[in-house]
Amino acid sequence: MVPLPAYLVLGALLFSLGMIGVLVRRNALIVFMSIELMLNSVNLTFVALSRHLASMDGQLAVFFTIVVAGVEVVVGLAIIVEIFRSRATVNLDDVDLLRG
Amino acid sequence: MPPASDLALLVPELWLAALGLVLLGVDLFVGEQNKRTVGWVAVGGLLLALVPTWGLAGAVHRPGTTVFFGSYAVDGFAVFFKFLAIIATTLVILASMDYFRASGDRQGSTQRFEGEFYTLLVFTGLGLVLMAASADLILVALSIEFVSLTSYVLAAYLKGNPKSNEAGLKYFLFGAAASAVMFYGFSLLYGLTGSTSLYVIAEKVATVPAPALTVSLALMLAGFGFKISMVPFHQWTPDVYEGAPTPVAAFLSVGSKAAGFAVLLRVVAVAIAPSGLDYVTLIAGLSAVSMFVGNLLALPQRNIKRMLAYSSISHAGFILIGVAAFGGAFGNTGLLIYLFAYMFFTLGAFFIAALIEARLGSDDIPDYAGLSQRAPGLAFLMALFMLSLTGIPPTAGFFAKFYIFAAAIERSPALLWLVAVGVVNSVISLYYYVNVIRTMYLLPPQDPARIQEPAVLRTALWVTGAATLLLGLYPQPLITFARAAALLLP
Amino acid sequence: MADFAWTIPFWPALGWLVLGLVGGHLPRRLVAWIGCGTVALAFAAAVAARATFPGEPQERTLFTWIAAGAFSVDAGLLLDRLSIVMVLMVSGVGLLIHIYSVGYMAEDRAYSRYFAYLNLFMASMLLLVMGRNLLVLFVGWELVGLCSYLLIGFWFDRERAANSGRKAFVVNRIGDAAFLIGVLLLWTSLGTLDLRAIGAQAATLGAPVMVTASLLLFTGATGKSAQLPLYTWLPDAMEGPTPVSALIHAATMVTAGVYMIARLFPLFTHPVTVVVVATVGALTAFFAATIALVEWDMKRVMAYSTISQLGYMFLAVGVLAPAAGIFHLTTHAFFKALLFLAAGSVMHAMHNVIDMHMLGGLARPLRYTAGAFIIGGLALAGIPPFSGFFSKDLILERAWEHAVGGGSPVPFILGLVTALVTAVYITRAARYAFFDQSYREPHPHEAPPVMLWPMALLALLSVAGGLLGAQRIGAPLLEFLAPQFAEAAPHEAAPGLFVPVLSILAGVAGVAIGWLGYRDRRDPDLGWVARLFSRHWYLLDLYDGVLVPAAKRVAVLLAGPVDLGVIDRAVNGIGALAVGGARGLRRLQTGYVRQYAAIILVGTILLMAYWATR
Repeated sequence: MVPLPAYLVLGALLFSLGMIGVLVRRNALIVFMSIELMLNSVNLTFVALSRHLASMDGQLAVFFTIVVAGVEVVVGLAIIVEIFRSRATVNLDDVDLLRG
Repeated sequence: MPPASDLALLVPELWLAALGLVLLGVDLFVGEQNKRTVGWVAVGGLLLALVPTWGLAGAVHRPGTTVFFGSYAVDGFAVFFKFLAIIATTLVILASMDYFRASGDRQGSTQRFEGEFYTLLVFTGLGLVLMAASADLILVALSIEFVSLTSYVLAAYLKGNPKSNEAGLKYFLFGAAASAVMFYGFSLLYGLTGSTSLYVIAEKVATVPAPALTVSLALMLAGFGFKISMVPFHQWTPDVYEGAPTPVAAFLSVGSKAAGFAVLLRVVAVAIAPSGLDYVTLIAGLSAVSMFVGNLLALPQRNIKRMLAYSSISHAGFILIGVAAFGGAFGNTGLLIYLFAYMFFTLGAFFIAALIEARLGSDDIPDYAGLSQRAPGLAFLMALFMLSLTGIPPTAGFFAKFYIFAAAIERSPALLWLVAVGVVNSVISLYYYVNVIRTMYLLPPQDPARIQEPAVLRTALWVTGAATLLLGLYPQPLITFARAAALLLP
Repeated sequence: MADFAWTIPFWPALGWLVLGLVGGHLPRRLVAWIGCGTVALAFAAAVAARATFPGEPQERTLFTWIAAGAFSVDAGLLLDRLSIVMVLMVSGVGLLIHIYSVGYMAEDRAYSRYFAYLNLFMASMLLLVMGRNLLVLFVGWELVGLCSYLLIGFWFDRERAANSGRKAFVVNRIGDAAFLIGVLLLWTSLGTLDLRAIGAQAATLGAPVMVTASLLLFTGATGKSAQLPLYTWLPDAMEGPTPVSALIHAATMVTAGVYMIARLFPLFTHPVTVVVVATVGALTAFFAATIALVEWDMKRVMAYSTISQLGYMFLAVGVLAPAAGIFHLTTHAFFKALLFLAAGSVMHAMHNVIDMHMLGGLARPLRYTAGAFIIGGLALAGIPPFSGFFSKDLILERAWEHAVGGGSPVPFILGLVTALVTAVYITRAARYAFFDQSYREPHPHEAPPVMLWPMALLALLSVAGGLLGAQRIGAPLLEFLAPQFAEAAPHEAAPGLFVPVLSILAGVAGVAIGWLGYRDRRDPDLGWVARLFSRHWYLLDLYDGVLVPAAKRVAVLLAGPVDLGVIDRAVNGIGALAVGGARGLRRLQTGYVRQYAAIILVGTILLMAYWATR
């Protein structure tokens, strides 16, 4: 039986990893993947807590988070593709028309 | 299966969802040149949605009335925001119709997807309604995400326009990151209290160790702060407002902000407040910082949409005064009044920006020179909106500010400093708002040609203008309404 | 009380609506008739109010503005002794100035816009003095500020005019900010905003609240009434058309601060407040008079003179003599409006030349104007039997009693010295403008009758206005006002001859010094004293030399080495600070999404740190 703190720590690690990815990567797709990683760490935390608390709410939340992540893929990829069409790049540092 | 009586309380939501689906269908059968029809159907449907909402306002008397096993509130508070969301969506659709027609002549290709634009707006409106009524962390997350996702698409709606694309991308990445942080906060709160229902959390939150609770609250504030453009989660605001189609910027600054405040208030007031955690000082601090950052950054702006974006950040600070003052006899009402009044004059200012952009192809404030001669009616309305944003009587803006300041003083003498900060900030804001008036009235026009005002947009403008003035002169009905709504929040 | 009396503010508002909506399409004559006619109706209503006034304060509620539980604010009007005096003065002087404007603005392109703004101002000012509670008063207070802004910047093709308008607006708003906090404080402490209720309950407030609230309101008054240290906007406001200066920046709007204090007088009776108000008033009176002594622009001389005379009024309320303050407010409205209209007539004749270097000897070609100016000047100098003598003397007497009764002697001494200086500078101005031939304009022509008649009436009032407060004939104005201030400021015993004699001596000596000292058409060499005066007692150096550069330096620190040359000097130090701060903050708005994400992270961590450190 793996104790609860292990799951929570793993979740926190995954979350931090995702956050770091968002901060340091320039490619829009990889930044996006990092955000998905953060969402998955949320899922892990929810499931672990759900099991620990013996309540179904957490698992319910996981299902919805997965759906949300899926919809984000649809919308996000569409926007990234659109950017790629107009600028032929997915490098976030090149996307800086709007500033100040 | 929920009881039928639950469904009866959901008529506005069901109606809006059905309306969105109908619009998708209508869009299929309407020719490319007649996409406005979709808009008119949407406006008609939205106005009809006010009827069952009005019925609810009469029917709901008990605070904490919920349906779907305590996950969805149908209290007066939610009804208030239903009205706000529906009215805002209607006005934005009215303004969009002429915006696309006028700017379509110059930019070309947007008309083909115009029908989808209205459909998306209606769905976003539905999302706002859901946000304000969610009483369960899962539903809160879902509704926020619902509104965000449609808003990303709306922001990136002008497909050929690189600025609009960029606005969409930035909004999306920023929003997705902020939501992920917020979700993490939700998961921790769930772990601490063992439930996702706000009302159950409220019962258990007092026993939770404070440090863990603060971590989860800080994480959640990232998501709420993103929605209401609170510093330091505000940075998407100017970029997105500038790049997005102007009616969308208007919608974001009013609709998502109001719904964001509704969620923030419900979570904080219902679920966090019983813990005895002192969140007031923190909110007051964030409020002061938001006011200062928004106002200072608005000062040097030349682009009217960017200026309004920073102004929207500073107004988030003003409204946060109401959140800090929440719980006093006036705080509850003050916040709702501010949001409702703010809706009209902000929409109005954005609509004029939309019209000028469509007619002159420019967002620069210097191009407003001599507007008082080129379009006297527009200039008068814009001056009214600017004065209202500043908070000069007898406009709705003054009244809203007065009420919210009074609420803070009444809540606690410890908030007096925040009121002083607020008043100082309204003096700073005067500088850039009055600059617009000065440009319109006191500088000669570069091109004396009169500016045509499209009929539908004009209707939307006069509605916002009349409301701005009326709410300032005779706010009593709004106060009564807001008091009823605020009392119904447990 | 006649129903007609309650319509006072609505007539000019109606005029504004008509002129604002369709004024551009109407013939000029009709615009003039609407502009003046509506004010005439307001004046008629004010006369009706006086005639049918039953003695007790009358109130009328238009509608309930805000009702929230126990707290409710009506949009209501109040007519009592004080507001009747004010509406009579405002609508009467306003009417004369409207008529004068018909001639003065005859050549202007934006004729109907001018009258629309002027009518809006009248409506706002009348609302201000008739407001039943602080909120209505504040609405009027802000609206007159807005009109002032629009009218100062009326000739917007002059860059200076537009900047002056903005400066006036911003400086006023600094005062208004304090005012609003004061209002909120009063409301939360007393639970009412009703003016009479505040007056009645002021004594029940604890000393800290009473002093804080009254000083906050007083700060608002120093902004609106151009007292130290917020006086800087008024001289610049002279960029507007001269009738506007006469109406708004001499007779009515700038006196709103005095009116407000008189209205809430019981609140201002705490010893601390009394000392502050009297001292600021006396200092401002003296300070501004010395600047008027070395100023060369005729309208700016008037502006400093107005600041100085407003100082007298604050001095009066500060020595617990509000009735004397209102008396002086009334006579000052007469003679200062007259002086401004005469100055306007000079500008009209000399094609907008107003520098006194370029004037001189105008007494012959502009006979009536010169006569009007001299009458106004004598009233200002406090020479009996002109009206200014009576009101100023009354204030000095009260200040004397105050000093004798154990109060501070400063108000009396400064007041007396200022009387002397006042006589000197107005004689100087009269001499430079109207005597000693030197003007360059070949044929100055006298103003048309439509401008002369209002001046004639104001001249009459400037001569006879003193009768309103002359003790020998029963002082009708003071008697009328007496019940208003009966409790807070009981009437003192009849004065002796000591103070009037001193006051007459000061006035006569001042006129003599002014006449003899400036006979060579140049200022006598005062050396460092002149420099002291013209640099505003080095306040300008403090503002320009210390505060602005200091703020700029902080701004540079905030913003890094950016070119600050573009910063508008008029925006003063605080503006520079704000712009600098904005530049620093703007650097954070890089446009890079990754950096935005970093801020989310930092922000969240800061929120956690906030609690961790508690």
